[in-house]
Amino acid sequence: MGDEMKNSTEESTPVNQDELILAQQRQIEKEISESIALVGELEPISSLNREYSNDEVYLEKIKDLSSKYKNIRRTRPDGNCFFRAYSYAGLERLLDKKDEFKTFYKQAEESKNVLVSLGFQQFTVEDFYDTYMEVLKRIGDIVEVDDAKKTLHYLFNEQGYSDYMVVYLRLLTSGQLQKEQDFYSCFIEGHRTVADFCHQEVEPMYKESDHIHIIAACAALNTGVRVVYMDRGNNKSVTEHDFPEGCTPSVHLLYRPGHYDILYP
Amino acid sequence: MAGSALRRLMAEYKQLTLNPPEGIIAGPINEENFFEWEALITGPEGTCFEGGVFPAKLIFPADYPLSPPKMQFTCEMFHPNIYADGRVCISILHAPGDDPMGYESSAERWSPVQSVEKILLSVVSMLAEPNDESGANVDAAKMWRENREEFNKIAERIVRRTLGIPT
Repeated sequence: MGDEMKNSTEESTPVNQDELILAQQRQIEKEISESIALVGELEPISSLNREYSNDEVYLEKIKDLSSKYKNIRRTRPDGNCFFRAYSYAGLERLLDKKDEFKTFYKQAEESKNVLVSLGFQQFTVEDFYDTYMEVLKRIGDIVEVDDAKKTLHYLFNEQGYSDYMVVYLRLLTSGQLQKEQDFYSCFIEGHRTVADFCHQEVEPMYKESDHIHIIAACAALNTGVRVVYMDRGNNKSVTEHDFPEGCTPSVHLLYRPGHYDILYP
Repeated sequence: MAGSALRRLMAEYKQLTLNPPEGIIAGPINEENFFEWEALITGPEGTCFEGGVFPAKLIFPADYPLSPPKMQFTCEMFHPNIYADGRVCISILHAPGDDPMGYESSAERWSPVQSVEKILLSVVSMLAEPNDESGANVDAAKMWRENREEFNKIAERIVRRTLGIPT
């Protein structure tokens, strides 16, 4: 005990226990999350069964899910999963539809100016925009759809590209929320302004997404999404929700509490 | 990753050189290494730190600006939000959820669209208005609250030291 006391007073740098605990917690989360690919390979829906081998409620729901969908593509559970999954699935679909891809590309080209006009500083947005456009251009320039999809998959598993795609979609979502702030302010709890909400819940990496993020992201990219909810609730089937309501969804995502993966009909 | 961080740091350096905020100078210590900067911050007018010129260093992670830099004053400091070893503890240097001091939910947080300039401006505000609820230096926080006169005296001594005036 005496020695410990002596050691701690001899330390030239005071150690903050809270910071140490936080750092350790972050390290553990990081290790778990990094064992899972940023965006995985296509797998059959039945691959979900092994995660719930003794769980009747989930097994029943997986059965229902497999009557609606053929495949699932898992994403890394790092708090960015909605943005990563949505962005990947949206682009993957556009590769099959060259005309829509062109429109999407044009809109993306304009998007930096829109963000700057909303008050984002040019030099903070630039690198993310450049990477976003580089990815769109690289996959758009490939003639063979299958090759383009392989490149998309490769780039979304390169941390540098993948994370910058996530940041840019977060910024587009933030831009959308701020552009339509009169509408979105009704959905924000507490006394925060829409801008505060964006700075704290949308723009920072690893912050998880809620309905409001999804609605704004869909509006920003003009791409509807169907989210299929699978949880421990009592009903035997999964629940579906389309954003925006009444749309024909282009992207399908599976939501299990705290996490999004991509679904394929 | 480090390539993107470097590009961004060079852009920020250029921005800060072309449009320096009042009372702040910052840049890489050595242009061979853009991941370590030195900053000089002038004590804000009308506060007990007025007139001082405070040196600090900023260390940037390889995934900057996804993660924030760390900042540490390299001169003696006595302030509720600065650890005894000079490390600065304010909300903008932390991502949301990373909460060593239990910051208010409205406090400004790190995100990839923050910048060195925003950090340094936050540090100037911090010098002017300490947050005595998130005490990195508990003694300083207590003195700031209970014995302002004594706090001001210490601050004045630190200011004189940064200027090389005998105390």
